[in-house]
Amino acid sequence: MSYLLEARELRKQYPGKLALRGLNLQIAPGEIFCLLGQNGAGKSTTINLFLGFVEPTSGAAFVNGLEVAKNVLEIKKHLAYIPENVMLYPHLTGLENLALFSSLAGFQYADQELLDYLTDAGLPPEAARRRVGTYSKGMRQKVGIAIAVAKHAQVLLLDEPTSGLDPKASNEFSELLRRLSGQGTAVLMATHDIFRAKEVGTRVGIMREGELVDVRPTATLNAQELEQLYLTYMN
Amino acid sequence: MRVFWILFSYEWRHFRAAKGLVLLCGLLLATGLYGIYYGTTEIERQRQQLATLPELTHRNVEELKVKFPGPTDAGDIGYYHSTFAVHHPDPWAALSLGLRDVNPTYVKLRLLGLHNQLYASDNTNPMKTLTGNFDLAFVLVYLLPLLIIALCFNLLSAEREEGILTLLLAQPVRPATVLGAKLAFRAGIVMALAWLLSGVGMAWAGVPLDIRVPSWLAMSTLYCLFWFGVALVVTAWQRASAVNAVALLGVWLVLVVLVPSLLSLGVAAARPVPQGIELTIRQREEIHAGWDKPKTQTMNRFFGLYPQWRDTTIIRERFAWRWYYAFQHLGDQAVASQARAYAQGLQQRYDLVETLNLFSPAIIAQTSFNALGGSDLPAHLAFQRSAARYHDSLRAFYYPLLFRKVDFTHADYAREPQHTFTSQSEMPTVRRGLSKLLLSVTAVLALGFVLVRRRSILPH
Repeated sequence: MSYLLEARELRKQYPGKLALRGLNLQIAPGEIFCLLGQNGAGKSTTINLFLGFVEPTSGAAFVNGLEVAKNVLEIKKHLAYIPENVMLYPHLTGLENLALFSSLAGFQYADQELLDYLTDAGLPPEAARRRVGTYSKGMRQKVGIAIAVAKHAQVLLLDEPTSGLDPKASNEFSELLRRLSGQGTAVLMATHDIFRAKEVGTRVGIMREGELVDVRPTATLNAQELEQLYLTYMN
Repeated sequence: MRVFWILFSYEWRHFRAAKGLVLLCGLLLATGLYGIYYGTTEIERQRQQLATLPELTHRNVEELKVKFPGPTDAGDIGYYHSTFAVHHPDPWAALSLGLRDVNPTYVKLRLLGLHNQLYASDNTNPMKTLTGNFDLAFVLVYLLPLLIIALCFNLLSAEREEGILTLLLAQPVRPATVLGAKLAFRAGIVMALAWLLSGVGMAWAGVPLDIRVPSWLAMSTLYCLFWFGVALVVTAWQRASAVNAVALLGVWLVLVVLVPSLLSLGVAAARPVPQGIELTIRQREEIHAGWDKPKTQTMNRFFGLYPQWRDTTIIRERFAWRWYYAFQHLGDQAVASQARAYAQGLQQRYDLVETLNLFSPAIIAQTSFNALGGSDLPAHLAFQRSAARYHDSLRAFYYPLLFRKVDFTHADYAREPQHTFTSQSEMPTVRRGLSKLLLSVTAVLALGFVLVRRRSILPH
């Protein structure tokens, strides 16, 4: 089986801290893999390794079969990323920001198409033409989602993406993820939100001190069992 | 290249939004225009002043025609008649005044000893020296780097600190391309400003369209590129914006203020040159002593220099002009070696500065701009040599009249030699300056590229 995301014995040593201890992970097309864990467990390091932002100490990360460390530029054509706190150019409008990031990814959209992406992500149409400097965190997050969707990437890397979103927007985001998953997109989402992970994920993995200590299909657990499992590992 | 141009075009929007930077560019433009105005006004003032000199000479001649209505002893005319050695500015001097505001642009000459006249205005107004020139060269050499620093201190660090770099580098974009587009856009703005100001300056000053036009533009371009190279090196270290700003201002302070000051002090210590006034005093002492020396002794020494007048009548009178001018002449001879040493010392200082200026591109640029404007020390020394030759020609004109006892008539005023001197651009200095700047630019850009390659640019 071909995986869109794969980690093989991925290890990352920072000065004075071993952030990741030989991670093995495979995520297939259409799968939504939720990484749970406390701060410093290695979730963000894992995402940064897939993005090529940091180089692994040993092991390798693959995106769509391409080794990240050797194809840093190429792999970014296959993936989209939404950070915990989407930061955009404050003096540009939401539309202009989306136009910039889309064109960098190789997509040229008409204004109406850009507006559709933004409104689909939950941004009110009138806000799309306002400068991002006036946006709330949630609104910026929605522009970040639009940027990711407009990229039509096969892989979606999410680092606490619903942080700052209201419950309605979070639900809409979950819907969006399910829709993308249905289209074959592989999703890796780092989150603290156990219930969102259960609701949207196809598998959850629990990370502790740089190790993936447990992986379960979400279908085998209800939300309380997942929470209990999580707390067991954390304690 | 597609990504580069996308980023480049968006830089324009970022720039427009940064009102402070737009204001700063406007300020530099206004400052540059003032520099051009200052330079052209100063040169125009000097031209107008020089233009009044023939009238002064004419008035002096008219007064002498009244004072001496008929043929008279040439010694009287040599004593009372003054004329001028004139240092006309090259049009380029308006863009780089150099030493033209502190060195005399003309010398009033009579048939007396040369050196006390030549160095009579060697003392400069210290306040004028302190404030310096606010010409276009000053704006380009001293102020333009500050604009480059303001534009580049947060080249990538702003995006990193605002968190935008994460999303930017998650796109299929090389960090070096982001950096390159940002640098290229800023370089475009600064070059456009430098070229615009240079073009306006050249048009305003009415410079001739020759090799000096591309030389000036190349010098400005290389100097700007050097500072962009410095910004690249500092950016490659990937420190916070505040650290970058301090580092860049530190480099500016060292290269534009500290090194030139230390170099000036060091060269002054390594090549001590007596003041021109010392030379004047020595000559004056020699001349004053001439009154008390036996006339025969004075004349014999003089005839050693001018044997063709040896057969002229022996001076028996208490006073004779030819004796007077002879000991004036001997006064010049007494300090001739000192005068040569003085001029050579100044030239050696200049040469030493030009050799050591590799340590500061600011000095390279300033030296080259002054050389281009013909407003540097070699131009002034050339004028002094020209004035000395003119004084020689005055002696050659008057001495036959004096020693052959031929009366000076009104018609002789028109036959008197005239002087004119226009400083020339020192193109070899300019070419050396361009080579050195090219070397500096290559070195600093190479270092920047190596650092960017070795230290991968991280989003956080």
